[in-house]
Amino acid sequence: MGITARHVGKMIGEPPTRILSDINLEINNGEFLALTGRSGSGKSTLLYLLSTLDRVSQGEVQIDGQNVGKMEPEMIHRFRNANMGFIFQFHYLLAELNTLENVLMPARKSGRQVEREHYARSLLKQFDLGDKMHRLPRQLSGGEQQRVAIARALVMEPQYLFADEPTGSLDSVNGENVMNIIRDANERLNVTVIMVTHESDFARLAKRQVHLVDGKIQ
Amino acid sequence: MIFLAFRYLFERRRQTILTLLGIFLGTAAYVSISGFMLGFRGYLIDQLINNDAHVHIGAREEFLTDHSLDDPFYQNVFAHVFWDPAPSGRKDSDMVENPQQWYKRLDADPRVEAYSPQLTASVIFSNGKAISSSTLIGCDPRAQVKVTTLGDYVIEGQFTDLAVGGNRIVIGNELQKKLGLRVSQNVMVSLAEGPPTPFKIVGIFKTGNKLSDNVAYGALADVQKVNRTPNHVNKIAVRLHDHTQAAALAAAWAKISPERVESWDQVNSSIFDVFRIQDAVRFMSVGAVMIVAGFGIYNVLNMTVMHKRKDIAILRSMGYDTGDIIRLFFSQGLILGVAGTILGLTFSYFFCLYLQTIPFGGGPLGGGMGHLIVSFDPKIYIQSAILGLLSSTIASILPASSAGKLTPIEIIRAGAE
Repeated sequence: MGITARHVGKMIGEPPTRILSDINLEINNGEFLALTGRSGSGKSTLLYLLSTLDRVSQGEVQIDGQNVGKMEPEMIHRFRNANMGFIFQFHYLLAELNTLENVLMPARKSGRQVEREHYARSLLKQFDLGDKMHRLPRQLSGGEQQRVAIARALVMEPQYLFADEPTGSLDSVNGENVMNIIRDANERLNVTVIMVTHESDFARLAKRQVHLVDGKIQ
Repeated sequence: MIFLAFRYLFERRRQTILTLLGIFLGTAAYVSISGFMLGFRGYLIDQLINNDAHVHIGAREEFLTDHSLDDPFYQNVFAHVFWDPAPSGRKDSDMVENPQQWYKRLDADPRVEAYSPQLTASVIFSNGKAISSSTLIGCDPRAQVKVTTLGDYVIEGQFTDLAVGGNRIVIGNELQKKLGLRVSQNVMVSLAEGPPTPFKIVGIFKTGNKLSDNVAYGALADVQKVNRTPNHVNKIAVRLHDHTQAAALAAAWAKISPERVESWDQVNSSIFDVFRIQDAVRFMSVGAVMIVAGFGIYNVLNMTVMHKRKDIAILRSMGYDTGDIIRLFFSQGLILGVAGTILGLTFSYFFCLYLQTIPFGGGPLGGGMGHLIVSFDPKIYIQSAILGLLSSTIASILPASSAGKLTPIEIIRAGAE
């Protein structure tokens, strides 16, 4: 089981511009996969297709044996909430909520915030944010904000973690910290990680690298 | 999503308070204006229903038409009569043609509570050098106090003292002041031509209405005698058990008699026209406030949706669906609407309580206590709440649905560009 992409193609805009063509990819559970390539190579687009945030123009994406294109929207939302975590280049924390509340937002969707609170606190402590649980995002540094975003992505103990340039807006020290946390989640919690990066040093931390050139896997 | 909606609202306090103020002012204005207007209106209608007869049967009023004189002159002689010039004008009567028939009809009708035949005469009152031309109304004193509330406004003497007969009158407060008279004194009553007749004042009434207080009442027989129209009656005032039947009953009676029969609301139709204009002005002015408040909510929510696009993207990635996003923004509008409405209703309730304490004469605008009359009819509060909630709901629908249509990928791509 895992994620499978079969002959996946993606076109966007009007007139349509092809971004991806004939992508075939299998990602096994527990894998740490890095999607690499130049800007505009289609790596982020592929990540969003694999993570159900976007829909394919051709082909199909299967997650745990289920064709995403044929799943009801309600089911996709539930699956995403329970099984997927996202980290973006920018933290996208909700400015009105404190650290702990931000981390518990996915759990709030399924009414499990009380149940997940202990785990959320332990994650924050693990990420050196134990004393900053009640601070607002604007009271945190860039590295801290991104670590809160990772804690939010992991709070539901997801099966899959999708990271789009998670170190893109961080300095090298914070970038390294973030990468260690992601690698640790993969190794210790057996979370399947699919990460987009154009930094070769961070890509090398992954167990497998998939390089895209002009929308095709090389 | 209510939790997050509250956080969003608390985060931008100034905008929230300003928007809240719009709904607050709208609902408060509606309740206060309506309370004041309807309070006064209720008082006025109450006065119209209780102080006066419910049905007025008056002397015939007839307008001549092109063929009104055909029968009197050429009955059955010609099929068509053409007049040059055609007849025109009025053929009125100054009396109710067959009052006895009316008395029988009214006595037999179970819907009739009481009736009072009247004769209104234009006379000249004089007391030494003080002279005033006015109206003397002859009535059945015992029936009159049942038909109208005039008896309640007698400030000296008793209205029913008129029933004794022998040229007695109860005089209005205004007329009494003009003539400089008091109870038990005599006043001379005369027609334009003819000798004066002395009438003894047995009572004084004061309704607060200067026009009503400028007339005098006497026994019907005495007034018929002074008017030199024995047995004449030019009006029958009827009181019903149920005033809401007045219009239907007046219409039915008008069909079976030549007399002019009008219900209390037909007699005062001009007042009801004013009420309708008041309603239109009230709804238009409050509607304008509500539209402005609604636009306030619409603008604030639209701006919030624009500012919170990244929040929408991350919430969608967490599994929040379109409905959750719509609820997040719609509930903000609704919270503003509900809070503004509750505040507006509460404030206006206390404001109306305060309005009641403001002294306002003792006339028709003032209550028995001489204060403003304000209506606390629950309908006003319900209408105001509906208006406040409706404007905030309508104003929230568009921004909320536009937020719901945003897909996470659109927002992320737009952010990357």
